[in-house]
Amino acid sequence: MPRRDPKSFLPLKTNWFHILLSLAGEEQHGYGIMQEVLDRTGGKVRLWPATLYGSLKRLIESELIAESEERPAPELDDARRRYYRLTDFGRRVLDAESERMEELVRILHRKHSKRGLEAL
Amino acid sequence: MNPFVSVCMWLYRRLAQAFPHEFRIVYGADVIQIGEDAVDGIWEQHGFFGLLHLIGDIAVRVPVEYITEMRRDLIYALRTLAKSRGFAAVGILSLGLGIGVTAVSASQFFGMILRNTPGVEDPDQMVMIQGASYPYFEHYRDQHDLFAGAAAFQNAVPFNVSLQGANAKAERIYGHLVSPEYLSVLGLKAARGRLLSPDIDKPGSAPVVFISDRFWRNRLNSDPDAIGRTIRVNGQPAMIVGIGPKDFLGAMPFIPADLFVPTTSPASLAPELAGDVIHKRDVKSFGVLMRLAPGVTPKAAEAGLDAITRNLDQETLDPARNAKGRRIQILPGGKILPVPRETLPIITGFNILLNGLILLIASMNLANMQLARATARRREVAIRLAVGASRFRLIRQLLTESVLLALCGGAAGLAFAYWAANAFRKVKLPYSFPVNFDITPDWHVMLVTFAVAVVAGVGFGLAPALAATRTDLASTLKEGALAQMRGYRRFGMRNLLMVGQVAGSLTLLLIAGFIIIGFDKTSGVEIAFDPNTMFLVSLDPVRDGYSAEQAANLFDGLPDRLKHASDIQEVVLATAPPFSPHAGIWNLSAPAEAGMPEQLVRGVAKSVIGANYFAALNANILAGREFDLRDQRTEPSPGKALPAILNQTAAQAFFGNREAIGRRISDTGKSYEVVGVVKDLSAPMSQTGGMGSGTIAIVPVVYLPFTRNDFAHPPGGGMIVMIRARGGADAMQSVRAEIATIDPNLVLFNVRTLTEQVADTVSYLRLSTTIYAGIGTFGLILAAIGLAGVTAYSVARRRKEIGIRMALGAKKAQVLRLVLREGGALVAFGCVLGLAAAYGLSRALAAFSNIFGPTFAAGTKDPRLVFGAPLLLAALAMLACYLPARRSTQIDPLKALREE
Repeated sequence: MPRRDPKSFLPLKTNWFHILLSLAGEEQHGYGIMQEVLDRTGGKVRLWPATLYGSLKRLIESELIAESEERPAPELDDARRRYYRLTDFGRRVLDAESERMEELVRILHRKHSKRGLEAL
Repeated sequence: MNPFVSVCMWLYRRLAQAFPHEFRIVYGADVIQIGEDAVDGIWEQHGFFGLLHLIGDIAVRVPVEYITEMRRDLIYALRTLAKSRGFAAVGILSLGLGIGVTAVSASQFFGMILRNTPGVEDPDQMVMIQGASYPYFEHYRDQHDLFAGAAAFQNAVPFNVSLQGANAKAERIYGHLVSPEYLSVLGLKAARGRLLSPDIDKPGSAPVVFISDRFWRNRLNSDPDAIGRTIRVNGQPAMIVGIGPKDFLGAMPFIPADLFVPTTSPASLAPELAGDVIHKRDVKSFGVLMRLAPGVTPKAAEAGLDAITRNLDQETLDPARNAKGRRIQILPGGKILPVPRETLPIITGFNILLNGLILLIASMNLANMQLARATARRREVAIRLAVGASRFRLIRQLLTESVLLALCGGAAGLAFAYWAANAFRKVKLPYSFPVNFDITPDWHVMLVTFAVAVVAGVGFGLAPALAATRTDLASTLKEGALAQMRGYRRFGMRNLLMVGQVAGSLTLLLIAGFIIIGFDKTSGVEIAFDPNTMFLVSLDPVRDGYSAEQAANLFDGLPDRLKHASDIQEVVLATAPPFSPHAGIWNLSAPAEAGMPEQLVRGVAKSVIGANYFAALNANILAGREFDLRDQRTEPSPGKALPAILNQTAAQAFFGNREAIGRRISDTGKSYEVVGVVKDLSAPMSQTGGMGSGTIAIVPVVYLPFTRNDFAHPPGGGMIVMIRARGGADAMQSVRAEIATIDPNLVLFNVRTLTEQVADTVSYLRLSTTIYAGIGTFGLILAAIGLAGVTAYSVARRRKEIGIRMALGAKKAQVLRLVLREGGALVAFGCVLGLAAAYGLSRALAAFSNIFGPTFAAGTKDPRLVFGAPLLLAALAMLACYLPARRSTQIDPLKALREE
């Protein structure tokens, strides 16, 4: 596979961003991702099941995530579920998206502070 | 559990089962699991709407996954086809031609037969009849229980039009001569000015003319003050009173009309009205347009008109008054091309049959090629099945390829249809007036083409896809790609397809051949001299401002005068060019005589010719004599029979095998005495089957001598002067000079040689012949490709068997014979079926329609075709078998056996 530019995925779709973010820390199964996003956003963003798996499928095809071969410790493992992990490429895409958002926020801040100065 | 939640989960599980197979295999269980895990939380957090959202989400996702798969199938199919370019090219080409021919007939059907005449209100209520006299029309018009209105018209009427002002050069413009109701019966709305009207436009009132939008734009440069402007029509002033709506070119736009001149005009303006034709019951030169009264069906109108006409015929003593059968045939009046209702199913049926056959052959051929490819792709299919692809999915994948191919073929077909429309437009039709033969495909055609392509794609793709995916995984994967193949089946699908294809191709070849040979036999122009030495010139002195008297004097002396010019051998006058189609047909009868009842002959063409006509054409007089100057100068008087000459076909029709010379025939009260019988001069095409149907038959022709009255009122296309020159001389120079000395204002038009005239006449036929020949060749090539494929497959299948035979000492020739025998049997069987089918079809078509009858009758008796076509096909087919069969002899027995 030729080397692809992570930027070609930007701006990331909201669903994709949340999924990648959930997988940034540790490997997760689908339900785990859904719960994590729900917790992280204080219940504001819910990834609906069918959409979630549709996104997972496309993320795998785009090689941003992969199915994990490692299973968690047997007492924590739910054998019925598949686990997903972020690929290196997926991490780079996530980083690029974060940078893009940071840049946006910086621009916003600059504008605000300018307006604040003018108000003074 | 909460009942809402249970129902929701039940629905959710059902929907999860509906995901595409591959998605379901990988994620199905997870999707259900996560739904079950999350549903309680959703119910608590969002309540009922949360459950709705859950269901809605999955309901949207299922089709999205299908679409994604289809997109992938499409990309995969594109790649596969790009890899096998040869297959794709043959497929697109053959389907393109098949679909293209369909698109052309569909264009003809939608563009001409079904399309409404522009500008006409409620066109389905319009009907028309042709060949009525004006007094008859007036009777028809009064039938208020049948018709809401009726109008008489003459089409393809030429007018010499000059716009008043500086250097007014006359131009020949074609129009309609119409009764004043014409425009209002059509329900026309004038774009400017007023319609013609029986209340205003009365005999004796100042001459007026109604013009088309096209004339107004092109000739009057969209003059805003056109209404009230006076133009000169045939040298007479006439005032423009109205302009038609855009695109309106008369009630028969097939023959476009730009000028509408009322029948109330003086004969000096419209020479067609001379001789008081308005009051003559026997001059059947008008068409009648009728708007059906509410609730009246065309069939009822036809029956009503028939009864009225029968009564009128009794009063007028029409010679056909006692004939059996219908007198009136109603044509649709609001369509571009008025095709009689009765012939419509035949024309349509023939087209559908022929197109269907072509498509079927192309599809069968592609199905065969797909089957061969499917064999080669067995391993790929097996691997995909093994890794979890469903059979349905693979079938869909293979079908996507076929449909994609067919759609490309459809695009090629549309391109072909455009090409054909263009070719048809360029072809000069054998009429003296302009004909608008436009079959450019429209959206109807595109829709039909698309549908046909999809049906064809699924049609030829399904069987191979089913066969390809019916495979034994383990053995296919374990052994070589060719190891697992079905054994020989005498009635296997491939063999049946092959027999079908050979039979279909032969049917196509034979039918195309019947038509071509039929055309050839009935249209071959045999000219007994060099046609380059005959010139044809048209003269129309009446439209150059001559009075009837002056015109009659001019023509009476013209041949003699021109004959004295240098290098001229013979000069003859005629109303129509020789070897051209006959413009109208009539019913004439031979009166009853001793032992023989009255013999009515329908569909007789009348041709008015000058003295020495047949001598000029080197045509054989079989009996009697031809006309001389005395015949031409005899004035018709009651009780005195005018002479007439019959062609062979007419003599046979009127008198059977009896001697024709001296016998009488009669035509609407006039009596003729037969003075000569002449060999059939060919009539390549006549209009007997309705305009545009391309009737091909030799019609009976009655030749009549010119009278002074004919000279005084030359036909619409002008008088034809046929000039036979001595070889090599440029006779036209001296003819022009001679005519200029008679009158420098006389306009010579349509100057051409007989060669050009004949070429124009047959160019339409030639195009048809080319297309049919193309179709025949196409069938032949497809059959060959198909056979080669089948034989190659058969050789591959029997590789092992052949290896063993050769190892046991079989000779190459024996192996070759073995392989060829199978192909030969298929070809022979297919040929027998094809011959039978072609005969059956042509018989059926000939029986159903007098359009194809004579053509097929001529073709089916031709030994060149009956023996030649199957032989040609068989020879080509055997060659197609031989090439791959030869490969069988190169099989190395050791290698073939080791593969085991």
